Amino acid sequence: MTKALRIYKSSEEGLKELLKFLLENGKVKGVLTLSKMGEYGAISYSLITNPDDIDSTLPLFPLMPVNLGKQLSRLTLMEPATDPIAVVLRPCELRAFVELVKRNQGSLENFLFISSTCGGVYPLEMAVAGDIEEQLAQYWESVEQGELIPDVRPACKACTYFVPYNSDITLSLLGTKNIDEQSVLFLNTDKGESFVEGISGQFGEEELDSAAVEQIRNKRQAEKQKLYDEVETKSLGIDDLTKTFSRCIDCHNCSKVCPVCYCHMCFFDTEESEYGPVHYETELEKMGYVSMLSDTVFYHLVRLFHVSASCVGCGLCADVCPANIPLWALSLKTGEAVQKAFDYLPGKDIEEGIPITTFKPEEFAGVE
Amino acid sequence: MAVTQKGAILAADEGTEKGILNFIKQALSQGCFDAVLIPVRVPTGDSFAYFLVQNEAFLEGASPLSPIMPVQGARVISSLTRRGKGKKRIAAIMRPCEVRATIELAKLGQVDLENIILITVDCPGVIPLSDYFEDPTKGDEVFKDASQNWNSKPMRPVCRICDKFFATGGEDLHIGKLGTNSGSILLIPHSSKGESILNKLGISLKEDISGWEAKVNKLTEERKQERKQVNDALREDIEGIDRLVETFSACINCHNCMRVCPICYCRQCNFDSDNMKFTFEDYITRARARGRLMIPTDTLLFHIGRMLHMSLSCVSCGMCEDACPMAIPVAQIFTVVGDKNQEAFDYVPGRTMDEPLPLTTFDEQEFLEVEQSYAGVSAKQEDQDD
Repeated sequence: MTKALRIYKSSEEGLKELLKFLLENGKVKGVLTLSKMGEYGAISYSLITNPDDIDSTLPLFPLMPVNLGKQLSRLTLMEPATDPIAVVLRPCELRAFVELVKRNQGSLENFLFISSTCGGVYPLEMAVAGDIEEQLAQYWESVEQGELIPDVRPACKACTYFVPYNSDITLSLLGTKNIDEQSVLFLNTDKGESFVEGISGQFGEEELDSAAVEQIRNKRQAEKQKLYDEVETKSLGIDDLTKTFSRCIDCHNCSKVCPVCYCHMCFFDTEESEYGPVHYETELEKMGYVSMLSDTVFYHLVRLFHVSASCVGCGLCADVCPANIPLWALSLKTGEAVQKAFDYLPGKDIEEGIPITTFKPEEFAGVE
Repeated sequence: MAVTQKGAILAADEGTEKGILNFIKQALSQGCFDAVLIPVRVPTGDSFAYFLVQNEAFLEGASPLSPIMPVQGARVISSLTRRGKGKKRIAAIMRPCEVRATIELAKLGQVDLENIILITVDCPGVIPLSDYFEDPTKGDEVFKDASQNWNSKPMRPVCRICDKFFATGGEDLHIGKLGTNSGSILLIPHSSKGESILNKLGISLKEDISGWEAKVNKLTEERKQERKQVNDALREDIEGIDRLVETFSACINCHNCMRVCPICYCRQCNFDSDNMKFTFEDYITRARARGRLMIPTDTLLFHIGRMLHMSLSCVSCGMCEDACPMAIPVAQIFTVVGDKNQEAFDYVPGRTMDEPLPLTTFDEQEFLEVEQSYAGVSAKQEDQDD
């Protein structure tokens, strides 16, 4: 059994009460969560230090403008957080941050991680079109029923890791009854437990409804297969890849927003990967023509090669692609295969080394 | 535009694109240049890419007026010549804004124009990438229809208000369509390079181009007025720090606007460099100062910084807007700012190689009024200090 806290307010209000409690009582010095910028502004993450600003936050708004894992890396790249900070983030964001920390790109120190069983987020283009608000009622109903949510990111529809790893506090949402009347918060760690000490609510011991979790996982698994079929990722041979990436405009935005792509400068943006006129003229002589967008498949293959072991399937790459390439499916499918081969789940265990940094003599004997 | 200029009429019975291609093929086979840089439909049919073509046969899928601009041509010429000019003479068939950006990059030392022949066509605009990729077949239809009728509605918002859709002078050869008969195109050379191509092909310049000029001038006037109206309206929406903050609040700091911009040529933007990495202490201090700090930070600073760096050379091609995942009207905003800045320096980016970049020239008589008002301020300051 796990320690749990029930606050008899809707999940969003309960969570906000917790955040305010933490700030007001000096247990944390800052809160990182979603809120709206001004009257006409967009919804984005903010680091909030003033308890009064918690009222206007939207910690459960189903949108991921940036992967917060990547932002936490930016915040702690030079030094760990100097004060305790509460962070409300989605399971894949937390997993991404753990992967980055394993790569020395940040520090977990001083963070209190608050996550939830995740229903998924809507694509950025729906936020742009202002179409999310009218979907919210249906979103929360589907979350409560443990049903698939229409119109969320395809990567979210296909996500089977919706129960967070490494969160100090987990808000139970998916398949949880009466989330509009109460907040069920699991206190997974001693840290989580000690931070909520003194808050008014009902403490007890509970367990996540494992049958409900299993059911949702099965639904998502089936949906994933369906989506894979839709984007024709069956063989992914060179012909398929050439076809899939034919629209790529070489902007590298997938890498720029990817929480796992942390290189200060991508190899494909360096002088190394630039050609001089000799290259083009040699190709011209050989072929009679040369595409000036020639290395796009190469770029994507190398990116998959570099990130697949750590891909958390957040789907941001596909969301920002100006050419609507279903990158999420390619990353996730490749990621699953690589992660299975190494028996590795990115972001699950901070102690577990990333596959490429660990060597086991008996590994892949068959290949050898 | 020179008043006495003459042009040459070429038959284009099978349509403008075919007419242009026939001319290009002829020039290629006659050795007017060694290769052609031109948009070609990709094998899957759902997009276009710049191809360098030497063998005529591969010009079949070429599309001098492709419906979209997936990559700005100036970037392509820059990757082709940034490390020095090649041996081959290359004719680049591009949109006027691509040519203007190319000339800006040449001024910035990012393009070598010596072996490049710049050829432009009267430009009807391009369809936004997102509209096209939603349904490329429909996109082709929409573009074909709209470009034939010179209807700018389905085009990029900045294309709709483009007042430099024709030759601005920096190109070697321009191909006019406006004001010509349906089965013909008009060739107008703007340089000795352009003239020598026509000479070599035995095409003599005897056509009066005033019909084309009249059409272009009329449309330019209309577009100029529209541009002013649209700019003024947008300025209302974004002026002042609060509105600017809200406008860019959707920015996710991906810098894709910069990445696809033909003018932003820095290998590493300052905003991606170590200069913009801060300690946690810095972040929390900034958050405390206002009660909250938006994450990612410095998004507005990035846009203002970019504006400061490139707005004098901005050609309003619209790539930035097409590449923005949050549909922020970046290109329209930069057009508002660019127009104002360029006007202040009486500078038209890419008009000609002869005009130096405003920031590289110093004119003693320039902006005296700014200097004077500053002198007033500093005098007052000195009074106070005393």
